[in-house]
Amino acid sequence: MGEEKKGEFEPKIIGFTCNWCTYASADLAGTSRKKYPPNARIIRLMCSGRLDPMFVLKALLNGADGVFIGGCHPGECHYIKGNYYARRRIAAIRTILKQFGLDNRVRSEWISASEGDKFARVMTEMAEDLKKLGPNPMRGKIL
Amino acid sequence: MKGAEIGIEDLEGFFRGLLEKEVVDCLVMPHAAGKNIAYMLVTDPKRIESSSGKAIFAPSFSVNAAGIVKGWTVANKVGLVAKPCEIRAAIELVKLNQMDKDSLLLISVDCSGTFENQVYADHSDEIGERLESGKIEELKGKGIELREACKICDSRLADVGDIAVVRLNGDKVVVAGLTNMGEAALTALELPLEDKEIERKEEKARIAEEAKKNEEALPKISSIEELEAFLQDCIVCKNCRDVCPVCYCKECFFDQPLGNPASGDLLNLAELRGAIGVPANQLFYHLTRVYHVSTTCVGCGACADACPKEIPLTRYYPVIARKVQDIFEYEPGKDVEEPLPFVVYEEEELEDKLR
Repeated sequence: MGEEKKGEFEPKIIGFTCNWCTYASADLAGTSRKKYPPNARIIRLMCSGRLDPMFVLKALLNGADGVFIGGCHPGECHYIKGNYYARRRIAAIRTILKQFGLDNRVRSEWISASEGDKFARVMTEMAEDLKKLGPNPMRGKIL
Repeated sequence: MKGAEIGIEDLEGFFRGLLEKEVVDCLVMPHAAGKNIAYMLVTDPKRIESSSGKAIFAPSFSVNAAGIVKGWTVANKVGLVAKPCEIRAAIELVKLNQMDKDSLLLISVDCSGTFENQVYADHSDEIGERLESGKIEELKGKGIELREACKICDSRLADVGDIAVVRLNGDKVVVAGLTNMGEAALTALELPLEDKEIERKEEKARIAEEAKKNEEALPKISSIEELEAFLQDCIVCKNCRDVCPVCYCKECFFDQPLGNPASGDLLNLAELRGAIGVPANQLFYHLTRVYHVSTTCVGCGACADACPKEIPLTRYYPVIARKVQDIFEYEPGKDVEEPLPFVVYEEEELEDKLR
């Protein structure tokens, strides 16, 4: 799965999702048989606040074409304020990546457990956007 | 603001008084070491040198003095006499719980821009003890250049900490209390305090404008490929981290097995990717570090001075960090009460920066 077909670029996305919302929304998208491209490899976190921005850097430097971060809507964090802290960290790391033209490979969305269709839509959009963008320039580099 | 106008030669007595009246138990302050300027930790008032008034203003940068007192856990009261960037770093360290503000008396000193300490030592006669813009140009013609960090610094006038030491024209200075602790210290020294205006808005605006122009003139790093090229000589010695006043972890990630892989770990990584650069994690290290200091970097340029490969890191760390500081409207070291951006949040914010 995810290996490149001849001639067509299939982006690899690393998805960090919150256990209480976006991870469940992916489940819901699956059980409701929503179709979306299988480009994302999901890593479940207990909260988007668990996301150390180093995860994003490491994924990109190791050749991931995109990084997705999914958390609960502001005000709905299972741990009250984890996603607020996550928001500041993501904004900071994207600001840094923007200087080097990598920010458009990182996307975060607030997706609740009941928004299976939003999850499917975001995954589809992201895969399409990354296809247009082309492979991560870090891919295949000796880093 | 309460302050007193004194002669530059009176500063010797001022510092001596701080120790004699036990306002502080020790002072970390610059002193003349041969032709160079270095820091000393002094407890005996008799050891305050007669040249100290001139030494504190000398346009020389060796280390960021905030790094010297970083992590101290002592009951003694420590006085730190240093340039504004160093005092700002100390204030960030207080906010990062690396120092107790009550045990610190921070004394910021007007700075006119600095040379690397070895450059200053080699040319101290030509440079003299005071810099003016005409002189900076003249020295530049002789190949004696200001540090890049100082060229892009927009806040080098003393206005942070507890006490500001402001240099006036001629050989006069003003010592002014900026906080209650600072004013109490001046009162204890029985200085003739009166209301003093040390804001200097016009001069600050002029400096900021010049700094902005200089920053725009610096070569930009605008893609990941350019960053790779910029860092290509890096040997991952991590000197930039060791001298950084605001890099404070007890054990850095890049000293641990995951961040500093060796032996079998390194082989496994190479197997995973086919080939990896060694020493490992060059780009990962610098990108992580710039994130870690993004809100607290005071732009002192100690990293660039310390780089054995002479990579001009001033074009990277302070420049990138400033972009992050801008989105949080945060100025590191400006206000000890203002919380660090990563420990607070607002209900609605930053949504345009997430996707």
